[in-house]
Amino acid sequence: MTVASQVKQTLASLKAIHAGLQQLALTSQDETAQRTFHEAMLTAERMIAELKGRIGRLEFEEPQYHGK
Amino acid sequence: MPIWLEVAIRSVCILIGLFVITRILGKKQLSKLSFFEYIVGITVGDIAGTMSSDLDISLQEGITSILIWSLFPVLIARISLRNKKFRDFVEGNSTVFIKNGKILEENLKREKYTVDELLEQLRKKDVFRVADVEFAVLEPNGDLNVLLKREKQPLTVGDVFPNPPREKEPQTVIMDGMILDEPLATMGLGRGWLKEQLDKQGVAVENVFLAQVDSYGQLTIDLYDDKIQVAEPQEKKLLLAAMKKVQADFELYALQTNSEEAKALYEAHAAKMTELIEKVGPLLRN
Repeated sequence: MTVASQVKQTLASLKAIHAGLQQLALTSQDETAQRTFHEAMLTAERMIAELKGRIGRLEFEEPQYHGK
Repeated sequence: MPIWLEVAIRSVCILIGLFVITRILGKKQLSKLSFFEYIVGITVGDIAGTMSSDLDISLQEGITSILIWSLFPVLIARISLRNKKFRDFVEGNSTVFIKNGKILEENLKREKYTVDELLEQLRKKDVFRVADVEFAVLEPNGDLNVLLKREKQPLTVGDVFPNPPREKEPQTVIMDGMILDEPLATMGLGRGWLKEQLDKQGVAVENVFLAQVDSYGQLTIDLYDDKIQVAEPQEKKLLLAAMKKVQADFELYALQTNSEEAKALYEAHAAKMTELIEKVGPLLRN
């Protein structure tokens, strides 16, 4: 497995975490919990964006594995 | 009119009247019956009983006495709701028996309490050493309430975790295989969500005896068929596990990469993830 595909897998996990946090933020009844989940979700969102940038660079470095 | 018919009519009317009166008296009487209220209750019942079977008593007399006996407590309750002094007079004051860990002998004497009785009341509260008690007070209704010294108090969640996640009351959404729409709406959920959750567990609504949603939107169910094992909700635990895995991934990449820039990014992400796990972890653990 190449580095790029590994990082892509982590990106997928991160997206799943983001979705899970979002769902909890919506279904939680307690306001503090809602806010905590929401803030965590936003952090995850930023991390996803940064990681996407990194993957772009990795694909540039390993063009033969592009898109995998 | 035959006598039995008159008795029957009287009895039914008085039953209805008593029902209305008990409704007016309210719930408080039931939970905290003072001696006075106890006697009033018995007297009202007795008058009603006699009135329904004894035809010598005229209805006028009986109804007058019942109304006085039942409305007087209501009146007293109304006044004592407004006036603190009147309340103290009617309901009595509480008496402090133990203060700062010391028994107040004069107060014991005033309430005609012996040491044995005090010890008995303390034992009822699972206190066997008087030295463990910081404060004890005899309530007007005769109960002894005890505040233990701080080091003898039972451990609470707040002692162990400074800010425990808050938990609201769960809502019952399925009873006897029927979906209850109102509690579902209270949680901001709908039938579609419930169907989806039940499909995930592989059960039909008709087979569910009871289902509850907790304050984090997790569904727990009890089936009619007790032989079938129901899976516990896993979403929160899985989410926490996924977060830990991603954190470990980032640390691994930070070690593997040769690029300084990438290393900095991965390390920052690993740190952020650790922070996130710390923040959200307590909410995901239960």
